[in-house]
Amino acid sequence: MSKSNNALHSESRPFRIEFWPQRAWDWRIAFYLFLAGASGGLIFIELLLKELSIIDQRTADWGGWLGIVIASISLLILFSHLGPGVRWKAWNVFRNIRRSWISRGAFIVTVLMLLRILVMLPSLIDDLPWADGTNAATVIRIVVMLFALAFMTYSGIVLSSWNSIAFWNTPLLPILYISYSFLSGTAIIPIISIFTVGMDELNSIGIVLWPLILGLLLGSGFLLITYVYGMATSSVPAKQSVRILINGEKRWHFWIGVILIGLLIPILIVSLPTLGILSLQWVGTTLLIIACINILIGGYILRNLILACGLYGPPI
Amino acid sequence: MVRLGFTIDLERCVGCQSCVIACKAENGTPLNIHWMRVLESDEERGRTFVPVRCNHCANPPCVAACPTGAFVQRKDGIVFVNNDVCIGSMACLTACPYDVPYRWDGDEGYYGEEISSFEKFKRNLFSNPFKTSITNDSTKGLTSFEQIKRERGRGMKIGTAQKCHFNYHRIDQGLAPACVEACPVDALDYGDLHDQESRINLKLKQKNHFSPRAELGTNPSLFYLTGKGGGEISGVYNRSNPADGE
Repeated sequence: MSKSNNALHSESRPFRIEFWPQRAWDWRIAFYLFLAGASGGLIFIELLLKELSIIDQRTADWGGWLGIVIASISLLILFSHLGPGVRWKAWNVFRNIRRSWISRGAFIVTVLMLLRILVMLPSLIDDLPWADGTNAATVIRIVVMLFALAFMTYSGIVLSSWNSIAFWNTPLLPILYISYSFLSGTAIIPIISIFTVGMDELNSIGIVLWPLILGLLLGSGFLLITYVYGMATSSVPAKQSVRILINGEKRWHFWIGVILIGLLIPILIVSLPTLGILSLQWVGTTLLIIACINILIGGYILRNLILACGLYGPPI
Repeated sequence: MVRLGFTIDLERCVGCQSCVIACKAENGTPLNIHWMRVLESDEERGRTFVPVRCNHCANPPCVAACPTGAFVQRKDGIVFVNNDVCIGSMACLTACPYDVPYRWDGDEGYYGEEISSFEKFKRNLFSNPFKTSITNDSTKGLTSFEQIKRERGRGMKIGTAQKCHFNYHRIDQGLAPACVEACPVDALDYGDLHDQESRINLKLKQKNHFSPRAELGTNPSLFYLTGKGGGEISGVYNRSNPADGE
């Protein structure tokens, strides 16, 4: 194992009484939490839109598979973050479901993926008892949606449940993460749609999707402001974290990455078709896809910043 | 039921770092990993020294956070890491408000790439050479130290968490932890918090004291003594404590 990796976790730990940034959970955990939220959001939204007959069967199927793939990638990234040499014992992660949120998250994502595959099976195998249109299929879909919601919630609760880092220790954080997860999941649908069915479907589902995305963008922006304001008026370590976020070394990531790229530009673009200003020709469609990609980029940067700005208070 | 506690007299500590060195020598902790640290702070009236180690909390956040159950709390309150189970998720590092656990990802030795014979001896000693539980019949008749050598999961495995384990191999032999023994000014002490006549209880009655970040509800077993004029022991009996109930 490289010396630099060891240094990450130990070398620079100070012998001083001061605030100390957490460095144990880095960009990989941020990416894992982002993908976890996005996969949960995607699975939830595509099932909902399919139940409401808003999206095409092919878009729903691709959304389902992509949701499973994204969740799998998130788990691979988490796997790469485990200890070298011992990560192959990762099944131990299920041993403490009674107390540990990470353990519960592992359980939730496992059940979610298995059930989502179960929902997909009738499209591959004929005459299954839970084929489309049966009561069993509806029940399984509802359970999958509940687990998808639980997975989105977990991605925030896993941080907020610990009081070691004041910046994370608020019930607002899971709510913010749920909102961003829905936003990311919904933003993936138009991208899938354009590649599977084409612009025609995007025109028809856009009537529902663009106002939905706009609402989620505005809601997420409001929750973000509330969260940052709440932390700015909270304990001293939380205030210091906010200072780093909006006025310190991470300010450019926050203002450009989260606010401008992740919120303002998508709000501007998505509000155009919502107000009937932008027609969905090539230029308009390209702009909207760019807005969706921006939403995903902003969602990841937000998760990364919240991890990076976490500070421990002095240990006494 | 014994509940082990630890006191650190801030009036006595002179910041000599003897406890830090004693801990490293006893446990052979790798480069840059300190189970015991003496933090410093410059103030107008001079420097302040605060020894920091695992508080062996009664409600340990590391135990709750660990997804694998690798953090185990003994009946006497000692919290240790079972390295056979740990997968290095670093949940404990993030959950501990005292910044105590480390993950050891392997490194070169203290004197370059070659590991010294001392380091090799210590790492092997603590690297769980036998996969035999301490409760196994095969350990009957062994001394406590031999049993410890055979105990599961106590050791330094690359990629796993590690932290102060209260020198429980010494505690079980009736010896004081190495840091306590090394302190030249008698600033460190340990004992049974449930024994009203124990030395640390007498100290807690004699001196003002506080628990580190008691507001977080972790119920630490460590108390900092700050001066004359003590009182009732705070935070030991009146909170939920798994060890109290047994």
